[in-house]
Amino acid sequence: MSYEMIALLIFASMLVMLLTGQRIFAAIGGVATVFALLLWGDGAEGMPFHASFVLLNWYPLLTLPLFIYMGYMFSESGIADDMYNMFHVWMGPLNGGLAVGTIGLMVAIAAMNGLSVAGMAIGASLALPEMLKRNYNKIMVTGVIQAGSSLGIMVPPSVVLVLYGMIARQNVGRLWMAGVLPGLLLAGLFILYIMIRCKLQPHLGPALPAEERQISWGKKLLLLRAGIIPLVIIFSMTGLFLLGITSLVECSAAGAAATTLAALFKRRLNMKVLENTLRNTLSVSCMFMWVILAALAFSSVFDGLGAVHAIESLFLERWHLSPWGIIAMMQVSYLLMGMFLDDTAMLIIVAPLYVPLVISLGFDAIWYGVLYTITCQIAYMTPPFGYNLFLMKAMAPPEVTLGDIYRSITPFVLVMIVGLVIVMLFPQIALWLPNLYFGK
Amino acid sequence: MPKVIKAFVRYIDAANKAVGKFAMYLVFAMMGILLFESLSRTIFDRPHIWVVEMAQFFMAAYYLLGGGYSMILDGHVRMDLLYGRWGRRRQALSDVITGFLLIFYMFFLFTGGISASKYALKYGQVNYTPWGPPLSPIKIVMTIGIFLMLLQAIATFFKDLATARGKDLDQDKEETVS
Repeated sequence: MSYEMIALLIFASMLVMLLTGQRIFAAIGGVATVFALLLWGDGAEGMPFHASFVLLNWYPLLTLPLFIYMGYMFSESGIADDMYNMFHVWMGPLNGGLAVGTIGLMVAIAAMNGLSVAGMAIGASLALPEMLKRNYNKIMVTGVIQAGSSLGIMVPPSVVLVLYGMIARQNVGRLWMAGVLPGLLLAGLFILYIMIRCKLQPHLGPALPAEERQISWGKKLLLLRAGIIPLVIIFSMTGLFLLGITSLVECSAAGAAATTLAALFKRRLNMKVLENTLRNTLSVSCMFMWVILAALAFSSVFDGLGAVHAIESLFLERWHLSPWGIIAMMQVSYLLMGMFLDDTAMLIIVAPLYVPLVISLGFDAIWYGVLYTITCQIAYMTPPFGYNLFLMKAMAPPEVTLGDIYRSITPFVLVMIVGLVIVMLFPQIALWLPNLYFGK
Repeated sequence: MPKVIKAFVRYIDAANKAVGKFAMYLVFAMMGILLFESLSRTIFDRPHIWVVEMAQFFMAAYYLLGGGYSMILDGHVRMDLLYGRWGRRRQALSDVITGFLLIFYMFFLFTGGISASKYALKYGQVNYTPWGPPLSPIKIVMTIGIFLMLLQAIATFFKDLATARGKDLDQDKEETVS
């Protein structure tokens, strides 16, 4: 059998195992082990464990549990409640204003968190019921929360960009800086969409009734205090890192500690909250780590087959694609694979195959990381395999059905594809800020 | 189910819960080491060479020792295009069949861990870094974590088998992650 056929067979067996609904890490790791033994015999026995040492040496991965901890601690701390009030009062009088405010809240949360889980939890428990109470259309509302929380992996800090940085061997500081403007661009596009849609169809997002708007300017200004704690957290984490005072992993520890202090300050911290936070952190961190462990084993089997060259010759020699054709092809393949494969596993399996090709074609690896992250955001939201979909289903009140959730994402996914194309056409949106800050 | 199996499942669950509840506090150890280093370096201008590796070791211990507990919490993501539509018993049946793959994977992780630990002990292997700590302790801890995960995979297999046959071995479900 040719190597290409074997590679295809491995991939196909993995997809079948994934379809059975077995835990992703078990499906990927099991298939990798079976094929390693078949291909290389006894010598491959240590291969699965060897992956754990590769993972151990991925120092930046320490940010993962710490950011997850921070996200859970943040949603328990009640800081988001104050911020929501602020946006509620300031944006409420507009048509669709609460939805616009929610996007604002999500950007702020994204700036304090490296994943989309925290935004999702806060959006579903805080913003969603408030908006439903004020007769916002439930499909609109669910879409807003899903799209908004997906910004968590784009706006720095971002765990996805840390992972990408390790695999592509790029500077994480640059990658984070590169995520700032595209993240804001996406948020801007979401807001634009909400405002236009609610202008045309005011019943989707009615403005706050007059009696709720009677708030004095003094009170309104006082509400802005809600922004202070988040700014302190952002500074102690991302700020100190970008100033070069703390290292990457230290900044995640600083963020986690600052959030814990904030929860203490808001008198929300007790043993029960702490234990819940730690348990959820362990559960989610283990989920990610075991998937990464299995995907590393899988990727070393793939690597042993020379898959990098196979892909290169497929794209260049057989299909005669232009460089841009290849980039487009890669994004499409991510979106297709994202339907079946967990995004973390996808990054670890596919990025080592694609990134060298991207660089050899003369594209910027930092820019490509941003493209990858936008694709990831879309993949998070699209069925059948989307983290956000399932989180939403678990967290939303019962009147929001799975059908509503599926329908809600369509316009936002289209908006995100527009954003993806804009960043593809104008790489400077991603590259201007890191080049300005770090020099070329 | 025979009594032996019931007892096995109960003990493994209890053991992994205890180990996992310990492991989840390791987040504070990682946080503490890193904060200590950033303060020590920036304020007192005293960097330490052991910080990076120590934090890495804690991370490895964290997710490997916590693995079994995360299985009990059902924290592992699945692709539920089909799985999500099935009833509880059908899901369990599917898990019984594919559970072999999980046990197989864990078994080879475990044997790999054993031989890596043996090697590290026999030759006094140290990490190839300025600090150069011996690698056997962390390898042994990792192997223990994997062993606990292997046992949990087997216990989960029996639980699924019981569910597929319409019985319930899972005594405490109240503690799943929200």
